[in-house]
Amino acid sequence: MSDELKNKLKHYRLSQGEYEKMISLLGREPKSIEWPLFSALWSEHCSYKSSKIHLRKFSYRNTITRDDSDENAGLVDLGFGEKIIFKMESHNHPSFIEPFQGAATGVGGILRDIFTMGARPIALADYLCFGRTENNPRMKYLEQEVVRGISSYGNCVGVPTVTGFTEYDASYDNNILVNAMAVGLVTEGMPLASSKAHGIGNLVVYVGAKTGKDGVHGAAMASESFDENNEAKKPNIQIGDPFYEKLLIESCLEVLKEKLVVSMQDMGAAGLTSSSFEMAAKNQVGFDMHLDQVPRRDSTLTPEEILLSESQERMLLVCVPENLEKIKKSFEKWGLDASPIGKINDTKKMRLFWNGDLLTEIEPGLIVDSAPRYERPFTKYNSSKKISANDFDNQSRKLLENLAETVAIESTSQETEELLKNIIHKMKHNSSFSKKNWIYEQYDQRVGARTMKDASATLAILKLPSHRELALSVGCRPSVMRLDTELGSKDALLYPALQMAVKGFKPLAITDCLNFGNPEKLEVMTDFVTTVDNYAHLAQLIDAPVISGNVSFYNETQNKNITPTPAIGMVGLKENESPVPECHFHEEGLEVYHMYPHPDRSHVLSYHKMAEINHVKPFFCGDLNSEEWAQVVNTLKVFIEETKPQGARIVGAGGLAMTLEKMETSEIKFQPFSKIFNGKENLAYLFEERFYEFVFTVSKNQKENFEKSLKNYCEKNRFKFHLIGFTKK
Amino acid sequence: MKIGVLRFPGTNCDFDIYEMIKAKNHEPIWLWHQDQFQMTDIDQILVPGGFSYGDYLRCGALAAKSPVMKSTLEFAKKGKPILGICNGFQILCESGLLPGVLLRNKNLKFIDKWVSLKLENSNPYFYTQAHQSKIKLPVAHGEGRYYLPSEELKRVQDQGQIWFSYEEDINGSLNQIAGVMSAEKNVAALMPHPERALWEWMGGADGFSFLADRGSL
Repeated sequence: MSDELKNKLKHYRLSQGEYEKMISLLGREPKSIEWPLFSALWSEHCSYKSSKIHLRKFSYRNTITRDDSDENAGLVDLGFGEKIIFKMESHNHPSFIEPFQGAATGVGGILRDIFTMGARPIALADYLCFGRTENNPRMKYLEQEVVRGISSYGNCVGVPTVTGFTEYDASYDNNILVNAMAVGLVTEGMPLASSKAHGIGNLVVYVGAKTGKDGVHGAAMASESFDENNEAKKPNIQIGDPFYEKLLIESCLEVLKEKLVVSMQDMGAAGLTSSSFEMAAKNQVGFDMHLDQVPRRDSTLTPEEILLSESQERMLLVCVPENLEKIKKSFEKWGLDASPIGKINDTKKMRLFWNGDLLTEIEPGLIVDSAPRYERPFTKYNSSKKISANDFDNQSRKLLENLAETVAIESTSQETEELLKNIIHKMKHNSSFSKKNWIYEQYDQRVGARTMKDASATLAILKLPSHRELALSVGCRPSVMRLDTELGSKDALLYPALQMAVKGFKPLAITDCLNFGNPEKLEVMTDFVTTVDNYAHLAQLIDAPVISGNVSFYNETQNKNITPTPAIGMVGLKENESPVPECHFHEEGLEVYHMYPHPDRSHVLSYHKMAEINHVKPFFCGDLNSEEWAQVVNTLKVFIEETKPQGARIVGAGGLAMTLEKMETSEIKFQPFSKIFNGKENLAYLFEERFYEFVFTVSKNQKENFEKSLKNYCEKNRFKFHLIGFTKK
Repeated sequence: MKIGVLRFPGTNCDFDIYEMIKAKNHEPIWLWHQDQFQMTDIDQILVPGGFSYGDYLRCGALAAKSPVMKSTLEFAKKGKPILGICNGFQILCESGLLPGVLLRNKNLKFIDKWVSLKLENSNPYFYTQAHQSKIKLPVAHGEGRYYLPSEELKRVQDQGQIWFSYEEDINGSLNQIAGVMSAEKNVAALMPHPERALWEWMGGADGFSFLADRGSL
């Protein structure tokens, strides 16, 4: 291979094999303008070339979900004229290089995926993983700026950020994760928009911000690992303007409502290239596109830069020629330009022009549909941290003894309480447990006036126009993924599903954002495939299809991969108006119950977060049987509907002790019955991280009936329960 | 009552205000930023929150110079009632209808939380004395630190123009001021959002007491 070719391949981030494939598809050497097209559309980010063969496993749909795999986001039909559209996406690489803009444009991008389909965005959620912030000013800066970026963009466009997840771990020291989820609502009378172009002679219209040099090669950048030259990648970062986005939301929804457009697509990764080629390829049509007519803010832009620019807040739409004037007028009202830049031709080929000269003529499907597909090698997952029940008891005892020693208290009953307090105190001050109010207080959580429960609750809840309630949750606990990929990926779906069930909600559908390291490595691909298999299986079992998503590979810096972090977003529905059980102890005199798995049902005992915080290698025993636990998701929801407890919460990391501590408020405290909290042997009961256990609170007059139902539920579903204390001022 | 709702590019509480007006059994009417309007058609005006004109230059500064504000100034001169919320407060200050200015929060960050407010002086149009004097409403703003020079402050205080104050110092506002009124009381504004506290399911319903009930005027 000549040096010239070698450099070219490196510049366009294409492999030798991919180069050969280009030649065989084209039947000739690629022209210079075709290089950037292949580079962008065959990047991992746009083509999903390492993941596509596995993502097909998410094919399960039910009667209320539509197969929209070729649209921008997934759709759930809630009935009563209400539909919701949602998706989650990563913006990890840009956010590590330029955290404020990276996070802000991540929000902007995911919102465009939603309103391009005709839905009004009504909620945002974020999923953030940072490295260690202690003694690390750079990480502290990333953390502050990412939050400020999300806040500045989401608040300005007027979409509330209602929930989220934040994690801190060394595996993200050189590669943070910034995932954003958006939910949109389509109400009666609003037509759904499609991204499939059709109609020979129809116009291709460009709307929104002008094109600049920002983000050129962004998609390709996001598809490779980090090295020591991250700073040099700053010019690849896009700059966002939420004000422009707000204008785009209103104007696009207006032209869609007036049925003025045939199809619409936002310009996201790989900008004009991916939007135009994908719109065309989906219906096997061709565009004549005049790149010189693209509105630019820099007159020196080359055709290649115009094709690859990832300037923000831009949309491409197709309309019949008669509607152009009306469309222009609509956008003009909002201070935006709509410029025709081409039309659908009858050649089925994309023909790109520059000042009248034909630069290339190429079938869109040739690049989009013939992108490489890789079957990366993987093996069966091996659970290396799983131990026998006996070993678990021993290790657990050792860990707790060590812990007790470090807080140096003896084991008399009086002092156990002291010991307990000290352990809790120690855990509470770890960044994973510390309160995240400072994050959520920077987000407008109520604009839109639909928010029932904000980020201070374990489950965000919005009121729909039909008065039904929509729940929103993000999932995947990295500390469980580090413990075991098999367990962690099941947990990533089951934990939020049970969070919904314990509040009386039915999980409806799922979006995922699969953040992994380098897929060319066997163990990374094994983690990925294990996750996809578990997601596909569980989604079907709990009847909540995976309807949209995104894969982010190459979260790797200098050969170090992140914790496999397949984040998910889940939505759920409650159709009755009975009150949602509280997450906190909201009044005094409530009875507090603890429900946990009977030893003879499938369950897992572990120390993950608890072990990590105390610098012990995490370990676990047992298995989660997906079928059995999917069953609990269903039965628990019914149990909550029937018994209407005052409060209900799933026990999280740090075990029962940490959950009780989190449920306390500044006024209402938990008063345990002494027998439960007596003696050192009960430390395991308090700190073991069991999959899954729950806390319920009921009022005195509910007590008798509740206990009867609880007993019945536990017998049927093989759980155990204790009345462990009460609430007091 | 017909209540005009001003809409600027970047206004994002417009639909919430629209719903609030309907919930109070009044008739909302959109007033577009580029249009002037006929005063006889409208009984009251609401200026909703958001980021008018992207908060470019300074919050509310560009909106204050818009055509719709020309009519709004006339409307105010006639003594007709105008209520501003959040960015609406900033716009009314920038247009000179209210004293003072709103600066960046003391901690330089956006603040979203529920706050307790104290009613300092009642307003005959938007929040009458019959209501409780301490209420809970959510705030959501980056620039809510109320400021005005001390000699002006004295005059404003003496004339009973302070409407609400925060029970706790949340953003560094002078005297914890959360809302003010014009000397004639027909123009009033506050940073907290009553439209986000209409029903118990929102986390509190104190906002429902804002705006007059049908027939009471």
